[in-house]
Amino acid sequence: MSALAALFRREFALAWAGGGGTAGPAAFNLAALALAPLAIGPAPDILLAAAPGIIAFAMLLSTLQSAERLFSEDAGDGTLELYVLSGQSFALICLVKSLAFALAVFWPAPLIALLAGIAYGMSGEASLVLALALGLAAPGLALVAGFAGALAAGLKRAGLLIALIAAPLQVPVLVFAAGAGRAAIDQTGTAGANLLLTAAFSLAALVLAPAGIAAALKARLE
Amino acid sequence: MSTGGAPFLISVKDLTLDRGGRRLVTGLALRVRSGEAFVLTGPNGSGKTTFLRALGGLVNPAAGEIERPAPEAIAFLGHADALKPGETVRDALRFWAAFQGGAEMTVEHALSRFAIAHLERRACGRLSAGQRRRVALARIVLSGRALWLLDEPAAPLDTRGRALLAEAVERHCAAGGAVIAATHVDLGWPGARTLEFGS
Repeated sequence: MSALAALFRREFALAWAGGGGTAGPAAFNLAALALAPLAIGPAPDILLAAAPGIIAFAMLLSTLQSAERLFSEDAGDGTLELYVLSGQSFALICLVKSLAFALAVFWPAPLIALLAGIAYGMSGEASLVLALALGLAAPGLALVAGFAGALAAGLKRAGLLIALIAAPLQVPVLVFAAGAGRAAIDQTGTAGANLLLTAAFSLAALVLAPAGIAAALKARLE
Repeated sequence: MSTGGAPFLISVKDLTLDRGGRRLVTGLALRVRSGEAFVLTGPNGSGKTTFLRALGGLVNPAAGEIERPAPEAIAFLGHADALKPGETVRDALRFWAAFQGGAEMTVEHALSRFAIAHLERRACGRLSAGQRRRVALARIVLSGRALWLLDEPAAPLDTRGRALLAEAVERHCAAGGAVIAATHVDLGWPGARTLEFGS
């Protein structure tokens, strides 16, 4: 276990410091949230109705934007070979690396969602629900984006391929997370159910995605 | 460096390797005992790297058998050094020591084997190619693993670096390890056996 703890610490530090770290996706997220109202118009009721969808959507895009970085460097500099030959389970390595990356890079996302929700006119309570939903969605979104990143690792224009592969797979969690926010605004009583479904998606991704990532990366090494 | 009755660390029978739709190697056999050093020579593109990767289990052979030890006994040095530009030499080696386990040597000791102890606090991105190679070799020594698979270990090394590498290999073989290295330069390893790859 101490080996995987060391891996988590290292991958967290590398993701934190390397290539813009947290700032890139957070800036992308904030820019999308700042621009959307300019396009939609200032009517408060429309902005309120659109808020959960826009906020969840902006976060989804920011996970796609950073996915290219996750495995392409390791594939290029020979780290991947050493991970495969380390004697640790490669799927576990992929899981630990993806989670360390998600924590280092997406930790501001719930915070941004909370502030954006309030700025878009949502109540504090509804904003909290939406922030919680996106916090629960983050591991799932990151793992799915990581799977697409693993399939595209080392390719030119990997970003396009990642968007094409990951976006359809991320649709359920987008629907549930935004749904939780909308349910909290309308007080329909289904916010809890949407939160649970969001968590279920992330849990399923925790089990399935590492095996897919490992298989994709091993095929890449052949 | 030869030890008569030592067990085989790795043995290869009737190996056939393909790469990019081209047949590189057919009917290759190799048995390496602990204490032996093997040098694979041959022109570029003759299949040395693919063979090393097949020995490590990174590439599946088209035909034939490879009996290899567990991954925990294999230390692999590819053509890339697997160093991150933002990480210091010491942090990188400390991580690999903790991650690969089994190391009884300290990071400082492994670095001093390749005369780079003074680079400990330097970021890997600010090292020369030869210095990076030395760090990667220090990682191999540090792993404490029995079978070393080295792909062009000496390519960017200077004369002193090559002498230190030869010394490390000799020490490793004397301690019961084995080394298989692909190269197109003369490594100057006394007692090493050679396997020539065809063009």
